[in-house]
Amino acid sequence: MKAVKFSVVSRLEGNTAVIYPKGYLNNLSGESLVVECGNYIGSGITNIVVNFSETDLINSIGISMLLQIIENLKNIHGTICFTNMSKFLRETFEMLGLINHMTVFPLESDALQYLKAGNL
Amino acid sequence: MSIELKKALYNISALADLGQEITSENNFQEKIQSVFYVITGTFLANRGAILAYDKKTARLGVLTQKGFSPADLARIQPEELRMFSKNEPFLLAGTSLPAVAGAELLVPLWVRNEFIGALLLGGKLTVDPYTPEDIELLNVIAHQIAIALNNHTLFVDLSDKLEENRRLYEEMRHIYHGTLQAFAAAIDAKDAYTKNHSHRVAKYSAAIARELGWNEHDIEGMYVAGYLHDVGKLAISNDLLNKVTPFTPDERAELRKHSTLSHNITEKIKFPWKNVEDMVWHHHERLDGRGYPEALARESLSDGVRILTLADSFDAMTSQRPYRQKMDVASAITELKKCLDSQFDNRILLAFCRVLDKEIKGELPEPDILPHLESISDLSVISVLLQAIIAELSPPENSPA
Repeated sequence: MKAVKFSVVSRLEGNTAVIYPKGYLNNLSGESLVVECGNYIGSGITNIVVNFSETDLINSIGISMLLQIIENLKNIHGTICFTNMSKFLRETFEMLGLINHMTVFPLESDALQYLKAGNL
Repeated sequence: MSIELKKALYNISALADLGQEITSENNFQEKIQSVFYVITGTFLANRGAILAYDKKTARLGVLTQKGFSPADLARIQPEELRMFSKNEPFLLAGTSLPAVAGAELLVPLWVRNEFIGALLLGGKLTVDPYTPEDIELLNVIAHQIAIALNNHTLFVDLSDKLEENRRLYEEMRHIYHGTLQAFAAAIDAKDAYTKNHSHRVAKYSAAIARELGWNEHDIEGMYVAGYLHDVGKLAISNDLLNKVTPFTPDERAELRKHSTLSHNITEKIKFPWKNVEDMVWHHHERLDGRGYPEALARESLSDGVRILTLADSFDAMTSQRPYRQKMDVASAITELKKCLDSQFDNRILLAFCRVLDKEIKGELPEPDILPHLESISDLSVISVLLQAIIAELSPPENSPA
């Protein structure tokens, strides 16, 4: 498989930031995902959705980055949801036991609805 | 696939990631940061630190860390870690080591008998305890990190030594040049009329060599030969050197000994540059074989000799002598051209004219010839003369130079 250079795009949906990581989350370039989330947290956003539709693979470095984001949200009592995971990603998170510390939805719209309901 | 098998595959993959990061082309800090991510990602550790032992200060420095208080990390003493097994992870609880808030595991990093640093890990995000498999994996990882840190330390030590050697070499070069200049001053001081002659000949010769495309090492050798070409004059009497009336044949023969004396003095010095002693020996030879001391001709004269001959003659012509007035620059250049083939080499005069022309046009950041030429009234006239000679001596286009 040809590795796609990792990049991150994002958008604001109400008071929720939706982050779209793209490519293989396996090296220091993945820090841009932590930075992007950090920027939203810094601007007062406490709800983040990470849409993994364009990230099929992850390694220990990528896991470390996700740990950082999860902890950052935990520290501000925020909520982070993960959506559109590939089978590989989901199985990796399950195997590590990380899935129990994540709020996971099949689709981005499900996560947004959940967060919207939670904020009512 | 069972969960155990998946976990084993993940651990193998983490080791592969670690190897890839350690051997990557990233800089050291990036490598360490990536390695740190591999470790925290593999064990889901919420805190961690990689510490490196600094032999000079006998302290542990933080290379990277997450989640610990710097003050807590500073309390970890290298002497206390040396008591524990090399690269073997151990639980901090129950040890006599100072408490580091949030730390659970510590691994002293060693390569052979060299203490390298330490790896510190906090608890897992999942709150699960570290398993024997985790400890085993961490032991393997610790070995790899220790080697990577040790390699970096060795590399830094080598770089420091190389830098120190470079500095010493530069200092020695500086002293060497200072000594040469002192010699040249001693030579020139013997003859009031040739004050700074050696310095100027060195500068002119190096400028010509540079114009001819010589490398910096050989240019430096040319410069040194320029400085020392008249060192043999130290053995010639002051009365003879400063004589105002024309020389007798005997006096001329005595004066001519100076180039052989220069050779005799310089051949005893082991120069890092080639042919310095040859250049000083033959700087009064001529292409037509009518020079001295050996009456060598054409093929026997190296480019270095030819450069030195021209630079020496040009400076002699443009300097005041007890027995004649100095020539103006245009006349001296015309005289050089008149003596082509018999005395001077076409290529060398061409290079000399080119470099002087560039200096007049301000094309060279540090001119070597122009600052030493007194009162050139009309630079444009000199430039026209130089360009005419350049045009005449330049090889036709499409023909080998």
